Formats: sequence, C-alpha cells, structure tokens
Amino acid sequence: MGKKTFLIDVDRCSGCSLCIIACKDEHVASSYSPWTRPQPDTGHFWINVQPMERGRIPRVRMTYLPLLCQHCANAACIKACPEDAIKRRDDGLVWIDPETCTGCGLCVEACPYDVVYMNDELGIAQKCTGCAHRVDEGSLPRCVEICPHDAIVFGDETDGVLGEAGRGEAPEIYHPEYQAQPRIYWKGLPKPWITGAVIDAASDEVITGAAITSVDLFEDGSVTVRSDEFGDFWIRGADKDRKYRVEIRKEGYEDFLAVVTTDGDQDMGTVRLNKTR
Amino acid sequence: MSDHQEHRVVYVSHPGSGLARSNFPLVCHVAGSKIIRSLPFHIPEDVRLYEIKTSRGVYKRPRKEVQMPLAYAWKRRVHAATRVKYPLLRDDWSPEDPNPQKRGSSGYSRISWDRALDIVVDQLKRIREKYGSMEPVLVQADGHGHSGYMQSLHFWGHYLFDMIHERLGWGWWTQQVRNPDSWEGYYWGAKHVWGFDSTLGEPPQDAVWDDVLEHSEMVIFSGNDPEATGLGMSGSIALEMVKWLKKAGIKIIAISPDLNYSASVNADKWIPLKPNTDAALYLALAHTWIVEGLYDKDYVRTHTVGFEEFKRHVMGEDGGAAKTAAWAEPITGIPSHTIRALAREWAGKKTSLSVYFGGPKVRGSLSHLAGRLEAYVLAMQGIGRPGRQFLRTGAPSFYKKSLAQIPRYPDVDKQGIALNPMIEYAIGKGPKSPVFIPRTLATEAILYPFVEWKGSTAALAATEDQFKRYRFPPTDGHPGIRMVWNENGSQPGSWGHGWKWLEALRSPQIDFVVGIHPWLENDIPFSDLILPAQTNFEHEDLISVQRSDLLAMFYQDQAIEPVGESKSDFEIHRMIGQRLGLDEVFPPADHWLKAAYEGTLASTKLGITWEQFKEQKSVIYDCPTWDEWVAIKKEHGFGPHDGGGLHAFCSQGGRLETPSGKIEFVSSRIAALDPGNAERPPLATWMTHAETKGSPKSQKYPLSVVSNHPRLRFHVQGDDIDWIREIGKVRGPDGYLYEPCWMHPSDAAERAISSGDVIMIHNQRGAVLVGAVVTERIIPGALSIDHGAKMDLATLKGKLIDRGGCINLIVPSPLEKYGVGKEIKIPEMNVSGFLAQAVKIDVSEIAASTGLGHGSTVSGQLGKD
Repeated sequence: MGKKTFLIDVDRCSGCSLCIIACKDEHVASSYSPWTRPQPDTGHFWINVQPMERGRIPRVRMTYLPLLCQHCANAACIKACPEDAIKRRDDGLVWIDPETCTGCGLCVEACPYDVVYMNDELGIAQKCTGCAHRVDEGSLPRCVEICPHDAIVFGDETDGVLGEAGRGEAPEIYHPEYQAQPRIYWKGLPKPWITGAVIDAASDEVITGAAITSVDLFEDGSVTVRSDEFGDFWIRGADKDRKYRVEIRKEGYEDFLAVVTTDGDQDMGTVRLNKTR
Repeated sequence: MSDHQEHRVVYVSHPGSGLARSNFPLVCHVAGSKIIRSLPFHIPEDVRLYEIKTSRGVYKRPRKEVQMPLAYAWKRRVHAATRVKYPLLRDDWSPEDPNPQKRGSSGYSRISWDRALDIVVDQLKRIREKYGSMEPVLVQADGHGHSGYMQSLHFWGHYLFDMIHERLGWGWWTQQVRNPDSWEGYYWGAKHVWGFDSTLGEPPQDAVWDDVLEHSEMVIFSGNDPEATGLGMSGSIALEMVKWLKKAGIKIIAISPDLNYSASVNADKWIPLKPNTDAALYLALAHTWIVEGLYDKDYVRTHTVGFEEFKRHVMGEDGGAAKTAAWAEPITGIPSHTIRALAREWAGKKTSLSVYFGGPKVRGSLSHLAGRLEAYVLAMQGIGRPGRQFLRTGAPSFYKKSLAQIPRYPDVDKQGIALNPMIEYAIGKGPKSPVFIPRTLATEAILYPFVEWKGSTAALAATEDQFKRYRFPPTDGHPGIRMVWNENGSQPGSWGHGWKWLEALRSPQIDFVVGIHPWLENDIPFSDLILPAQTNFEHEDLISVQRSDLLAMFYQDQAIEPVGESKSDFEIHRMIGQRLGLDEVFPPADHWLKAAYEGTLASTKLGITWEQFKEQKSVIYDCPTWDEWVAIKKEHGFGPHDGGGLHAFCSQGGRLETPSGKIEFVSSRIAALDPGNAERPPLATWMTHAETKGSPKSQKYPLSVVSNHPRLRFHVQGDDIDWIREIGKVRGPDGYLYEPCWMHPSDAAERAISSGDVIMIHNQRGAVLVGAVVTERIIPGALSIDHGAKMDLATLKGKLIDRGGCINLIVPSPLEKYGVGKEIKIPEMNVSGFLAQAVKIDVSEIAASTGLGHGSTVSGQLGKD
C-alpha cells in the first residue's frame, strides 16, 4: 500500500477556517470505529490554522499555517504511549486506538507539534486520524475536500502528490529539528523578509527601480531586488537569524548601506536617498 | 453515533444570502433526526462549464463549490439553547395592559398555536377598529435572512398585509423599506454621476471578465473583501475570481483603513487610509493627473460634462485649497508620495476598480460624496475603455444590462431559474404601500412625533425619487406606529442607532410586538408574542441558485422533523391568512413551488416535469462554449474581449441615464432639483462633519470605528454557534468570549491596552464591550469591529452596556450625522467611520443585567416537550 501524505501550501492558505469547521462537522458527535470516538463540542483543533501577522503598517501581510497531526514516521507520541495504543496504519496514518487508550496524557506532552488533545469526558487522547474512515472509502479528508484554495492536498506519495502538487519545488518539513520524520510536507513555510520603501529625500517622490541587495555577512550569496512603483522593495526568503548587509543603490543617488539581523521580518521603513552632488 | 448507519443525502440551502436566491446547496447527510455532516457541492462532469479564453490564458471555475464556514456549522443552530420551539407569550403582556417598558426583561410562557393565532388576529382587528386601517402596523421584513425560495423568506409579512389591504379592504400597512444598506455611496452618490438605476448605481457587469482578464493591468480593491463578503454571498466563485486576477498577472492594490482578509493574502500593495477619507484621496489623485496631464482628455471632452468646474475646484481656483497630495496627506493619513505614485500607476496601467457590497467607504457618513468622487476619477481614466472597468468580484449577476458577467446563455439568464416575485417588496422601484418608512428611520418613526426625509430608499427607485419629500406619519393626526411585525430580528445588530431601537420597542406607544424567528436573540426577546420559525433543515423548498456565476435549481427535501411546533415563515403567515379568510391567496407551498418551477426553462425547454425534478433534485444549466459566447456577444454589440456596463457608451456613442446622457461631474439633476443642499451639492467635494476628526466631538471621542461585514457570521446570523465563537472571539481574562476589536499598537499604548484586554467602546450613544486585538492591520486612529455580534446586555458599574460587542448599538442615526445645514436629509445609513473612545475596563465590574436584556437569557419557559 502506498503511503498517504499531505502537502500544505502555505502561500495558498487564506486563513478562512473552513478546514477547522469541516473537521468539527465530521468528528463532533460522530464516532468512526475503530479509528476514533466523537470529538468534544469545542476545545479540540485536530486541524488548526495558526495566524502569523507579519510586518508593520503599511507593509503588512498575513501568513497562515494549517497545522494538523504530522503523522510522523518517528512519532514521539507512539514512543511515549505506555499502552501501545498509538498505531500506524499500513498507509502511514497514525491513530490512537480509543479502545486501548487509558487517557494518561503522555502523548499530549510528548508531541512536539502540540496536536494531540485530551478528551476529558471520554478519558482518552484524540487527534487527527487523517480521516482514515473516509480514506478507506476512497474519499478525501474533510479539510482537504473543503479547502477552497487547494492549500491542503492529500494522496499517495507514489502517485506523485508531492511532485505534481508540489508545483516544482522540493517540499519542506515543518520543524525538522524535532527529528520526527513527519509525513506532512510543506511548501512556502515562512522565511523572514527584508522590506522598506525608497524615497527621494529632496523631492519626496518615490524612487522606482532602485537596486536593493542583501549580502549575507557570513555565507556566500546575495539577492538583488528592485524597488517597485510605490518605492517599496521586498527581499523574500531570507534565512532566519542571519546578518545581512543591505545596499540600496540608484544611479544619481548616494548609496545607502545598513546591516540587518533577520531575527524576524525586517522593515527598514522609509529610506530617504540623497542625490549625488 | 456511528457513521456506519445509513444516511440520506439532502440538498439544503446555504443559510445566508437570502432574498429568495441561493448559492449552491450544502450536501447534507442525514440519519433519523441527526444531520451527520454538510459537504460542499460538486458540479457533475456532464454539466458544461465556461472558459474565458484570452491572450493571457484560459480561465475556468472549479467543479467544487464551497460556501462560507458558517454554512457547515449551521446544523449547530437547530437545537441551540435559544431555539424557539413553541409560540411564546410574554408573561406580563395583556391586551389591556401591555407593559411596554418590560419588553426585553420579561419571561415567556408557551402557548398553543391556536391561542397565538387568536391573539394575532384579535390585535389586527383591534388596530383596525381603533384606527381604521392597518397603517399603525410597522412590518419589518426585508428578506435578507435564510436563503430558500419561499419557506424561509422574510417577506411574507408584507405579502400578508398587502393581501389584507387588497382582499379585506382593511387599508394599507406601514412598509419598512430596505435601504441600500451595502452600496449606499453608489445609490445616493454615483447614480448622479452615471445613472445605472437598475443596477443600484453601479455599472453593469456584462461580460466584464472577458475585458478585465484580457486587458487590465491593475485592480484597485476599494474596501473589497472577497474572503468575507464575497464568500458569504457568492460562495467560492468570489475567491476564484481573485485567482483569475493573480493568474493574469494583474496587480492588486487594496485601499482601506483595515488590511482585510483578502487583502492580507492577495494584495500586492496595501494603502491604508483613515476611515471615510476616500473622497479626499480621489481629489488628490485628480490633482496629480491634472497637473501632470495624466488623464484621458479625449474621453473627458466627449463623454462627460462639468469637468471644468471640477478642475477649478481641484486646483483651488474656486477659493478653496488646491487639492494636492500634500493637502490630502493629513486628511487621509497616506503619505503624499504614495498618493502621487498611486496616481501615476493608475494612469499608466489599465486599471479597474473593484468592490463587492460593503467595505468601509460605501457605508460611512456622507458616503455619497466618496461614491461620486470615485466615479469622477474613473471617468478621468476613461471608464469603459479596455481594461478600465468597474468590477464586482462575485455574483449575483443581476448587475447587468443584457449579458451575464461570465459566459452564460441569455435565455438561461432570463428564464433559467425561478425568481420569487416577493423580492419586489425589498428590491423594487418603490414601496408597495404608500405608507412607509426607510429602515434607517424605523426607530425615529416610533420615537419622534414627526420625521421628514428625501428618497424612498427603494433599491430600484429612479434617481428622481431622491428629491421627493416624504414624511411619517403620513398625515397630521395620524396614530403613527402602534404595532411592530418583526420578521427580521436583526435591527440592533445591522442598522444604526441600536440602543434607540431597543428604546423604541419599549415605547408606551407600541401596544403589540410580534416576533417571527427561530431563535430568542437580537431584538426578538423584545416581542410580546414570538412565533417559532424554522431553519432550512426542517422544510421542503426550492433552491434557486442565482448568487453564483452559474444558474441552477435544486429541490430541498425536508432533512429533519421540525423542532418543537415550529413552522416555516411561509406557513406561519399562511395560518394567519387562513384565519383571516385569505385561503385563496395562500395556496399550499407545493402548489406555489410547482407553478414557479413550471415557468422555468427546465420545464418549458428541457421538458423536466415538476415530479421528475423532485425526483432528480437538481437542474444545472450548461454554459456556452467560448465560440458560442463570442457569437452571442457579437449579437449584443460586443467584440470577443469587450465587456463592462459602459462599453456601448464608451465606444458606440451610447447614452447614460443622466439628464445629459453623459458622465456628470456637476449633477444637473441636483442643480435643478436641490441646488441649495449643503450636504449634497451639485459638485461632490470633501467635507468635514460631526463624525470626522477635528469636530468638537472628536476631542472626547477621537477614534473612528470601521465596521465591516463579518467573515465568520452572516450579518447577525450565526454568532451563537460554539464552533464559530471559539475561533472568532477573544477570550477575556474572565473566560468570556468577546467580540474582537482591532486597534493599532500606537493607540493601544496610549491607553495601556494589550491584546486580550477587555475594552469599552463608547460614545454619546452608549457603550459596548469588546476584546482588544492589537494589530498592524488597522491604521492608527481607527478601530475595526465587525457588525452583527450577538447582544448580551449587562451592567458595568451600574450602567447598562452590551457585553456582546454589538457595535451597531452605538452607530449614528441618519438624522444626526451631518450637522451641516438644516435641509431635509437623505436617510443614508452610516455604520462605518463614526467616532468613539476606547478604554480598558476591569472585568470584575461587569454584572449580569437584571433588567433589560434579562429576558434574552431566560430559557426556563423554553424547551419543555
């Protein structure tokens, strides 16, 4: 049997919350034996959408991370469970057997992605099953089916879900440092940006076409972008926690240099360039 | 509880939208009395979808059709704690002693339908005997509730009273007329520039996407939010249309005080501006264009009148300031270099402007000025020329002259689906009853002895109607309003002056209030008699899909047995009609639906009988192929990539509906019919007034509140659903889920407010509590609080407040907002961009209300089977 996998395209997610509601619609007050018992009315987010507000006015954007069980190949929850209640199907989906789970809660603590929830009423731990009951019928998981932006894709690894739906780029792993070998792949995980606007100090007009270059101070490589029709520039996909020298150049103006540390998104604000004498 | 039980599949109309039109339905799986799940609809492969073929690619729509999140949570409302299951009578109401001041704080008791109908009929008879007609009955029913062809339609009140007038001769009723609530600025303003009465003041959308996707290089989202209003009203086609723009490489510029949901992920540039200052921005754009020669001079010369006067105003040659970018900077909060850059971009690229119901601009005070100035700047850039369109990102496509916005057969447009004639009570050329009140003035009609205004506010009224003077009561010595027929249950959460409306309902003048609604919420607990209405799950109906790009009809089976003794809206009015001897005009629902269906192409052309349709459940019309569409367009005077409502005007010498037939910078109609009106002069300008910064009031209330359509609710609907609340609210330190309020960090710092704090938003009209969300998504000096939060009255230090964050409780009445001149006002709604102050409060000082609002939480009388 091919391994099932999800691909999450962060750039496509609008944070609409339809996946959250569809998951609840499927699982609250409904039991799908053997994979899971009913989800409580509220408090569980077998899929959640984590909003990240980025930037400063007026250069602000939202990035949303749809987060569900990563169905890890090296799952901390499986190792933590003293009852062997957490199992992996042949297709790779990880599930908590509600008949065996004693509700000790060790898996909730062990999961580095924080996607396992306690159902206090039933005395068991619960999480995303990958909609195993639907997958067995040949249907898509609810979050995948409802997503109006195709931000969550599901399928067999061997069917090229990652290749085709991966849309050209090698998929990423969320928090590889957890070493959990997750089976959920990502595209467009947020990386810091360096932004700002370039303005002519004397005329108070925006400067378009200025070259903005970021040079990594400790590694090889640089990126150059141009300021747009509003004078704005965006260097996207910088590496986190690096130091960059940012050079802003435009013919007829004095160069502007700054050092930026990408401990998050960086907005250099309005950069006023002076004309060369 | 197992999924493995057998389930039926039932198509159920999406709860929002309303007005007898629907989106594609929810596909509900039902077992016994349980709605197991609601799935999105997939358009079958044998239905032919359209393709828009352009030099920049082919544009299609997916077969999956998704509605707003609320729709998939709607099943939670069926058995909500607030559900009205039986007719309920207020405990301290009697015909002799109605105790009006106790409305909103009394309990209710279950009564039989028989007794309820007796009470209704007795009260109608009493009104007639005492006052001689039905005119003292205010009927509030504007149809904007649940979608469904007839059973859940909120128009039956008008129909009932219309029939009482026509068949029984009991006289007219007071018809509450729906105002142009989400397109005010175009209705009261832009119509005077370019006409378009039949499309509510906005240019028609005929084949507009062919033009935009072929030619446009930039689209301005002027407060447009396809992720909220678009998805809610039109379903996922609204989201798809944004993807088309992106795919075509069209730049999206969002102009709004808030970085709304769509802009936050789709805009290439956000230009935040202070609420309700769009008019000043437009003037500054015009200034830059004039100075730099960046406008379509030929077009202005041949297609417009009055430009020279506008130019003098812009250049400061009429005694005022020149409307430079520097002039606009402090007003709008937009750096002058950004204004000039926008002006150059707009002129240099083929630019369209996009709206879709709502957004802060069209719903604020004096929005008619912004609406007109927007039309001016579009005219300066040659609106109607290729790629320069007025663009609506969503259905419905009654915004057309002859062709749909996307490829569709004209005969399908005309007769494909059933359109309920009841719509005319809300979207008509004028009120049916000569005795009427705009919805924006319903409060004043009760509380004030006399109200006078201009314009009926009817959606399709001719522009001339805006100069007609109307009054209420219609004659001196008239009894005014004595009874309220509330089929909406939404007034305090969607319209202005909410606290005053609650006061009006408690007025001693009002002898009887009937509420017809499925839930004890909003202003329904201010009723004397509550008649239990149903959700869409509980009755059969026709689903007339018109709020999508495609046209279709579905048959809605009854998904579950009715809750308690609830009846459909239609059945409730039918029962009352039967008591009054109006059986003939209230045939059974199935007769009505059958007749409506048999007038459509499904029956007349495709030959699908009503019985067959009920069996097969759906008819979805094919779309033309691209080649067929090109041929259809040719017959209507359009080339393959022509489109938009000004195409003929632009290229074929057509006339607009304005007196001159051209785009009017100076309105000849206003100049002729209302020349001295200081609020709405013949030439639109920027004006300050009582609700703008710098006014005396702004010293005390310095923040400007933006109030948009919510993303997770449909107006006031659905705010009680637990799944919606847990993702949409702010959990206060007391664990209570507060309505979110966006506030810029600079304003928050000034007030020592942090995210998660409970803050009071207050002005001279009252106070509501909200949860702070400190964010860069709102311009400093403004707050964003969506409308429609569920009221939850409480007290704070002994003063009555709303803990639910229902912001419309403290928005202005149209009669107070201007403070400019003494002339009789157009009853414009102003629910966005009004002044307030924010202050952090101590949650330990909140106490439950023991008076007003108490009734809304009483449930002891409910639910006992």
